[in-house]
Amino acid sequence: MVTPHDAGLAVLELKGIGKEFGAIRALHGVDLRVSPGEVLGLMGDNGAGKSTLVKLIAGNFPPSHGEIRFDGKPVHFARPIDARAIGIEVVYQDLALADNLTAAANVFLGRELKRRLGPFALLDHKAMAARALELFGELRSETRPHDLVKQMSGGQRQAVAIARTRLSNAKLVMMDEPTAAISVRQVEQVLGLIHRLKEQGVAVMLISHRMPDVFAVCDRVVVMRRGEKRADKAIADTSPEEVTSLITGAKEAA
Amino acid sequence: MMKKELGLFLLLAVISAITGAINPAFLSFVNLLNMANLIGLFGVFALGEGLVIITGGIDLSLGSMFALLGVVFIDLLTTYQVPWPFALVLVLLGGLALGGIQGFLITRLKMQPFIVTLCGLLIYRGAARYYTSDSTRGFGYGDEASTLSNIASGNVAGIPNTFIFLIILAVILGVLLHRSVYGRWLYAVGKNEEAARYSGIRTNLVIATAYVISGGLAGVSTVMFVFYTNSVSPSSFGNFYELYAIAAAVLGGCSLRGGEGSILGIVLGTALLQVLQNLVNILGIPNSLNFAVMGTVILIGVLADQQLQARRRRKAALAGLARTAPRSKETTMLQSASPRGAAALPTSAGDQA
Repeated sequence: MVTPHDAGLAVLELKGIGKEFGAIRALHGVDLRVSPGEVLGLMGDNGAGKSTLVKLIAGNFPPSHGEIRFDGKPVHFARPIDARAIGIEVVYQDLALADNLTAAANVFLGRELKRRLGPFALLDHKAMAARALELFGELRSETRPHDLVKQMSGGQRQAVAIARTRLSNAKLVMMDEPTAAISVRQVEQVLGLIHRLKEQGVAVMLISHRMPDVFAVCDRVVVMRRGEKRADKAIADTSPEEVTSLITGAKEAA
Repeated sequence: MMKKELGLFLLLAVISAITGAINPAFLSFVNLLNMANLIGLFGVFALGEGLVIITGGIDLSLGSMFALLGVVFIDLLTTYQVPWPFALVLVLLGGLALGGIQGFLITRLKMQPFIVTLCGLLIYRGAARYYTSDSTRGFGYGDEASTLSNIASGNVAGIPNTFIFLIILAVILGVLLHRSVYGRWLYAVGKNEEAARYSGIRTNLVIATAYVISGGLAGVSTVMFVFYTNSVSPSSFGNFYELYAIAAAVLGGCSLRGGEGSILGIVLGTALLQVLQNLVNILGIPNSLNFAVMGTVILIGVLADQQLQARRRRKAALAGLARTAPRSKETTMLQSASPRGAAALPTSAGDQA
């Protein structure tokens, strides 16, 4: 199989990205490409620069150096909402869901469907539940739109968070440790969800510490260390042992 | 969702039936209308308090707001002879403005709601007492605002207008809270402000609006109370009333942690409180025990609700485990499901405190 990396246009392209916070150099000279339908694993120890990189792409702050290109065009984000507007979504570790609302309400939070009733705009519960059910169906998740999020398992919560990104038709979804705090069976579910996103041509960046998960779903793995990219390899060309030694610094680069 | 309201309604019905059986005067037409009037008076501002509590905040300033707005209102009508429609609008605007200031301090300057509104309680009370030199303000023998007086304290076919106002406002706020986008955002902000902000909701605006609505309803309540008592003594008018509102909201299912509650619940909570007050009188329980009875019932009510919820949650967890467990291990899973199921749920049993 030809890796998507070699073929065609990249969704996201970073060129010589650097970021300084005062005297601290958090990122230096990072180049990165992600193609549609590609799952990229982003690995590195704490403080290696993963989060800074993700926040840069998500528009939390601008890079000090370098260029971000999305869909072939250079982009500049002033706020996270600018990044979301062109199709970059982040699924955070703590999931950013409102526990007291239903799955459907969470999927549509901030983007509610309305129906007009004279001068008033009321929530269109029926349409939202139907669309949410469709999205869960696409993800092959058994999550029910009317269930409260607080009654759900970790895997179902991930499905809700990922359904949110489908609603906006995101082209790039970055997932921060989606398998960190859930049971083994639910990890399977979440990896399944990542596969569904891939099938639909969405580029996924998976930030994870869990080696088995990265090797199970990713096409390619990028290893960060001390703010620099130390490796960028197809999963088939590397091994968990090699990646571990790259993360710890036992091996400088590959 | 509706189970809580149904439970509250049954409790209300049972208490009324028992009280009525002991003393039929409780169910007399006069007494019922009197109670309806009080429910209307105390329900209107409890609705606003409920919205604020759903955002995860609290408004302690309501009683003092009544005193300050009340003395100003009477002064406008009597001393300054302002036509009543203007005086009415000014008092409503005053309530909205005070709510707006509190909302601004809480959302923009990131102060805690408890502190902001506690200071409001102290400041408004002090301002009312200073403004009047601690003297009681009332209507003279003139009919400064007889039209408004008739609207605020009159009745339609015997039903007190205050009660009618409560029903109208409850319906409007019910649609706002349960059917509109704003209401949805209010619940989201109350439970997880960060998630709401990440979803593109302007959380500061949503929260501040709740305080503005609460202030506006305090303005409406001020006018109704002024015509109920016909005078305002600045040091005692409205004392502790914010606590009635908080009690009604909590009894009605609002969680002080935010994100829970309903308009129907708040109305039923208010009704239950007034019924309790009334039965203390009707049953000849010493009046001094009034607050003690109220406190005990709220304590028992919240406790019972919590226990029921915990049981429901355990049952749901058990059902969930049974559904997903492998067939062969089902029996063993079921045996150990109860403690494990409870532990697996992130929300603790103390959710509704």
